[in-house]
Amino acid sequence: MSGAVVLEARAIVKRFGGVTALADVSFDLRAGEVHALCGENGAGKSTLIKLLAGVHPQGSYTGDIRIEGREARFQSTRDAERAGIAIIHQELALFPGMSVGENLFLGALPCRFGLIAWDKVYAQAISVLADCGIRLDPAARLGDLGVGQQQLVEIARAVARQPRILVLDEPTAALSQHEIDTLLALIRRLRARGVACIYISHKLDEVFAIADRITVLRDGAVQGTRDVSDTNAADIIRLMVGRPIEDLYPRRVAESGATLLALRHVSVAARRHAPAVLQDISFEVAAGEVLGIGGLMGAGRTELLMHMVGHWGVRTAGEVELNGQRCDVRSPQQALQRGLALVTEDRKRYGLVLPQSVLFNLSLSSLAGMRRGPFLNKNLEAERAKSIVAELRIRVHALEQPVATLSGGNQQKVVLGKVLLTAPEVLLLDEPTRGIDVGAKLEVYELINRLTRAGKAVVLVSSELGELLGMSDRIVMLCEGRVGGTFTRAQATQEILLAAAMGRTREVA
Amino acid sequence: MGKGITRELSMVIALIAIWLYFAWREPVFLSARNLSLLSVELSVTAILALGMLVVLIPGQIDLSAGSGVGLAGAVAAVLVFWHDVPAPLALLIATLGAVLVWTAVGTLIAIEKIPAFIVTLGGLLVFRGLHWLVIRNQTVPVVEGGGSNVYSALTTYYLTKNTGFVVATLVMLALVAAALRSRARRGSFGFAVDTAELTFLKLFVVAQLVVLVVLIANGYRGVPLALLLLGAVAAVVHQITTNTPFGRYLYAIGGNEEAATVSGVPVRLTIIGAYALMGVVVALTGFMQTAYSGASTSTVGSLMELDAVAACVIGGTSLRGGRGTVVGVLFGALIMASLLNGMTLMAVAPETKYIARGLVLALAVWLDLRLSKNG
Repeated sequence: MSGAVVLEARAIVKRFGGVTALADVSFDLRAGEVHALCGENGAGKSTLIKLLAGVHPQGSYTGDIRIEGREARFQSTRDAERAGIAIIHQELALFPGMSVGENLFLGALPCRFGLIAWDKVYAQAISVLADCGIRLDPAARLGDLGVGQQQLVEIARAVARQPRILVLDEPTAALSQHEIDTLLALIRRLRARGVACIYISHKLDEVFAIADRITVLRDGAVQGTRDVSDTNAADIIRLMVGRPIEDLYPRRVAESGATLLALRHVSVAARRHAPAVLQDISFEVAAGEVLGIGGLMGAGRTELLMHMVGHWGVRTAGEVELNGQRCDVRSPQQALQRGLALVTEDRKRYGLVLPQSVLFNLSLSSLAGMRRGPFLNKNLEAERAKSIVAELRIRVHALEQPVATLSGGNQQKVVLGKVLLTAPEVLLLDEPTRGIDVGAKLEVYELINRLTRAGKAVVLVSSELGELLGMSDRIVMLCEGRVGGTFTRAQATQEILLAAAMGRTREVA
Repeated sequence: MGKGITRELSMVIALIAIWLYFAWREPVFLSARNLSLLSVELSVTAILALGMLVVLIPGQIDLSAGSGVGLAGAVAAVLVFWHDVPAPLALLIATLGAVLVWTAVGTLIAIEKIPAFIVTLGGLLVFRGLHWLVIRNQTVPVVEGGGSNVYSALTTYYLTKNTGFVVATLVMLALVAAALRSRARRGSFGFAVDTAELTFLKLFVVAQLVVLVVLIANGYRGVPLALLLLGAVAAVVHQITTNTPFGRYLYAIGGNEEAATVSGVPVRLTIIGAYALMGVVVALTGFMQTAYSGASTSTVGSLMELDAVAACVIGGTSLRGGRGTVVGVLFGALIMASLLNGMTLMAVAPETKYIARGLVLALAVWLDLRLSKNG
């Protein structure tokens, strides 16, 4: 199926100051193939992509990049675009206030007499969307669509430019299973047409579902390139982390104690007099337990957690109990005071004060307990921060390093550390391993085990079914704001969970 | 690092250039008398700017500060001059009033979610109107003709020469102690520490500056009380912003308000607190500026909010919040005060002064953007 080599990178070395980001990387891409790039965060995937995108201009690295045999001399991202390379970044670069059609052609909107020719915009949009197999109204306002659909629009925009090389950087991080399927189908279509794709993802099941070849990077060096038919997940993970990982989900069931958190028939509306978004939600979590919460995008998982800590919505019915007492907190501050802590999904938006230091971010939630008179006890602050950095193995050169300079996995650990410093009884973790590498994931799982062993209760929200199955003692699947099913670890399988998320089963346990 | 140094360096160069220019055009600029006056003017500008810093760090603003200065000074002057209230009591009443009003302003912003720009723009007009109402469009002296009281002393009292040296010594001892303590603490936690030579050099330069200020001041009437007040306000604001949880919250809100909320930061209380603090600062600045004019007139405080914002921005405070330091603001205020003082000496026409102030503000913001982009 795959054809001639369209892109070849040879002996690439890229340094940032004294740090070698890419050490002698060679890589090739053939027409009509999907070539997956795997590696932990910091392995050099993004740097390689940035060279291909023209972000790091020619001359800032050694080695050469050839596109269809000709040496590519990219000085800017425009040069790369002209050479037929389209890159879809993890973060969306779209305009929520504009229509789907406008987003597709922004920068090259068809005009007539200096005015936008709307009929042409929509006609072309319809053909592009149809071409991609996406069913969307081109006049719909982008902001009204779900994140997954927005991601598809972003991809359609890249496809509209008819690239020969398409680079997808973690395209499914925010997508539900259904949307992932649509995306993978779209990639297969493009592949059949001879487009070459570089596919970066942390989700190995996806990689195996779509890729023809897999190249693994570690510490800026290529560990190997394998045909998918000749390899398996364990092999790839071994290449990624440099050691075998027997069990990706090291859940150790702890002894469960008294019920710490209970929701009874809780319904929540976005605001007063609005219809309830979450309806009749009930579950319990005991000390030492991990309760998994799953569901498709938009099922209300994040809203539920945000509501429990008082940051979202108005409760219209039911009650939340914490340690056997009613818990109607009105702000995350009150929630923390009662021992209920949330680790949010979107680190950059809700988790971190990016311009500030690691120390600043770690201590932010627990400053009230570090006073000496009216002043901050900086000795105590530094002591606690140091101990949590050691405990979570956060890789920093200095506590005063800006948190923005850390890798995704380490940033996530800072958010976890900040919450742990408040000594919570119940932890709500919203996608704690999203976008972080395998090594950091394992550390998060081990942390969850340590917490439950110490008698804490954990609520784990995840869109990865494997993670839910591997780490939860019980699993609640949400479906459009309602409980679609509650399962014990023994009962659950991927199929059962997915069916519940789509509203096709009744409660089993 | 590089960015910070470029910024600081460009500020120092700008200051030196301004001073050289005025010294060349008006040699009297560098006279002990004028420098002493400049230090009083600096104190007034800088104190208001330090209050502005506290509201700018969490990403807010106070455009009503200048009108508030006029109003607070007017209330105190009217109490003293027309109602024979003892000056200390009058100042206390006006201060409490300002704190109450600014707390209310902060509440409108934090709880009712009206943008600070709008609330304080309204405040600018309302307080100016109240100011004129309070003084009934007359000139109200701060003290009975020729006399003196606590109110007038704010800008007319000078320390005796010996007291000046004693204060200078105490200040230097405090700085040395603080520097040594900070070094010890940072060292024990493995934080980056300046070399001993650099620390000594920094302290030495600061000590020389302190002595120089006292010597120059003693060449005229002595160290002005106003300068001492500035030192006290600067020390307090520095402590608040760097060494209290409240200060951390200010930076957190300015850096990422939503993350701060989710992290359990009491966002509303912190913003209200920042405005309450601004109330104290506005009252103090009001008394000093009015005392400096000798009487409350309809123009006292006019446009001072913009000088304060300019001083903050020149000193590296971000208008988007999350960034700003006391030392930077002091420097920015020194640049603004020097400009205004020098232009007055050169008898620059008021219209030209307005234009110059505006250009300096725009230039400062532009430079800030340039330097932070290239850093």
